[in-house]
Amino acid sequence: MAVSTPSDRTLRHRLRRLLADNPVVLKELRGRMRGARAFIVLTIYLGLLGAFSSLIYVAVSESATRVSGQVNVGEIGRTLFGGVVAIEMLLVSFIAPAFTSGAISGEREHQTYDLLRTTLLPSHSLVWGKLVSALSFVLLLLLAAIPLQSIAFFFGGVAETEVILSFVILTATALLFSTIGLYFSARSNRTLSASVLTYALATFIMFGLPIVLGSVLWIIEPSLDNIQSAGAERAVIYALGVIISTNPAATALMSQYILVNQRTTGTFAYTLNNGQDMTLISPWVPFTVLYVLLTVVFFVLAVRRVRVIEE
Amino acid sequence: MAAYEHIIETRGLVKRYGKLTAVSDLSVQVPRGAIYGFVGPNGAGKTTTMRILTTLITPTAGDAYVAGYSVVTYPREVRRAIGYMPDFFGVYDDMKVWEYLDFFAACYEIPERERPKLIDDLLALVDLSHRREDMVEKLSRGMKQRLSLARTLAHDPEVLILDEPASGLDPRARIEIRELLVEMAQMGKTIFFSSHILADVAEICTHLGIIESGEMVAQGTVAEIRRQLMPTREIMITLLDRVDEAKEALLHVPGVESIQDMPDDHGRKRIRVDFGGDDAGVSEMLKALSSRGVPVVNFAEETRDLEAVFMRATKGIVS
Repeated sequence: MAVSTPSDRTLRHRLRRLLADNPVVLKELRGRMRGARAFIVLTIYLGLLGAFSSLIYVAVSESATRVSGQVNVGEIGRTLFGGVVAIEMLLVSFIAPAFTSGAISGEREHQTYDLLRTTLLPSHSLVWGKLVSALSFVLLLLLAAIPLQSIAFFFGGVAETEVILSFVILTATALLFSTIGLYFSARSNRTLSASVLTYALATFIMFGLPIVLGSVLWIIEPSLDNIQSAGAERAVIYALGVIISTNPAATALMSQYILVNQRTTGTFAYTLNNGQDMTLISPWVPFTVLYVLLTVVFFVLAVRRVRVIEE
Repeated sequence: MAAYEHIIETRGLVKRYGKLTAVSDLSVQVPRGAIYGFVGPNGAGKTTTMRILTTLITPTAGDAYVAGYSVVTYPREVRRAIGYMPDFFGVYDDMKVWEYLDFFAACYEIPERERPKLIDDLLALVDLSHRREDMVEKLSRGMKQRLSLARTLAHDPEVLILDEPASGLDPRARIEIRELLVEMAQMGKTIFFSSHILADVAEICTHLGIIESGEMVAQGTVAEIRRQLMPTREIMITLLDRVDEAKEALLHVPGVESIQDMPDDHGRKRIRVDFGGDDAGVSEMLKALSSRGVPVVNFAEETRDLEAVFMRATKGIVS
């Protein structure tokens, strides 16, 4: 017979308070999963993902056969996996804010915000409930896509670690983008302006940052090999690491590159021009820490905005 | 929390939006158990006052107390004490009637096990038990308003603050809401509701506050306000003839303050007497006329309804 310890009970009690006892979570999930809408969104999402996977498969298998004369199944697997993750990343970065950018401004538009504000529901519970319910659905989308990602296993060339890494990076992306949506939603009276601001920031993080990153790399690359000072080289490499860790796509690509070449998801040694080794960490770690921290910051700002009583 | 005499009390309440003063040095006093009608023209400051009382906005100056708690210092305690219905119905898409009540009951921290019975009772009270499983958006406006009233009662508050509860409803729905308000008062709730329609207020309220341009014009029980604003009685007299003689006779009766000629009624002369005396004085007036043989056709006191009181109290200025 399984006996639950007091700490188990406390944990379960806390989880229950955080998830099940939050009226907003229950209401939002009830509304979101009611009727055919959730089913249709999930079907379209998986349909798109499946169609793209098939396209990638056809394109890669043909080119792989043409180039080497025999099918390199490992390459097909890796490309298929990378393609699915890239599409998921794109979808998640645009679906997650869609669920949250109207979360609080929508209450204002539906004239239910004042009703909620005069209840005993604390501001943090309102924001938390909105976040959890939006993330639950995004998480459902991510979990539902795992079988598609796993098709890559048939071909080999992809390790379970990569699947887990991709899931962590995607979840952290969804977490931050959802919270950014919530923050702008808490600030705006109209969902439209909240959406515009959220998507502007999301687009900058997804596309603007890689452009900045690419430009910086392009400018400094020729001089990288000529850096004589170990300190300067270290500084440049750290700076690059920080830039990579701000972007989910760059983080995913770099983490996979390090996993394949250095066979690690943690730290590894990098040899400087002067022959010294420096220890580096796979970018998914600072990326996850940064995104979780930013999530907390945006969450706190959203709660503060909701808590403010109109002057 | 200080001991309190009035369940709602505002002291020197001021609310300014830039240069516009929405509420100016307002003092509202609502006794426990009252049905308090907060009347004033549109834009007089009713909604602003209610939003301060419900902790949605902060006053620029002064303070407001609900159940003894300051809305500025103890907003959470105030929220526990009030049930608020704004002048619009907040609709959630995709929500059933019982889910709507369940959600708000949960927001008021009613334990899950107590909610099913509470919802049944609330729906029975507002006569919506048969619509329990329907979507909220499918209800008629009157039903939504009743559901909204049920929502305000979810946590058994002491005070109901209702902003224009009958506005936009058809006559039948209005009567239903009025009946519900009376029923809630009988349940021991204090009801503070605003309206710009006097008929809604006149029939049910025990107390009245008339606000205009953000200032309280008159406040008290309905009878007090009548006396305060209309200190004289109006006696309408219809005569066959000899108007001047009648006026002469009436001016000698103590309490008669003024006499005005009124338009003729089918050739019969009419005069209106403003009279500040008691019933014996009214009798004296009639005696004075009959002793001189003045041909009186009709002698009656005009009942002054709240409409007249309101018109006398307000100047039609809107802030």
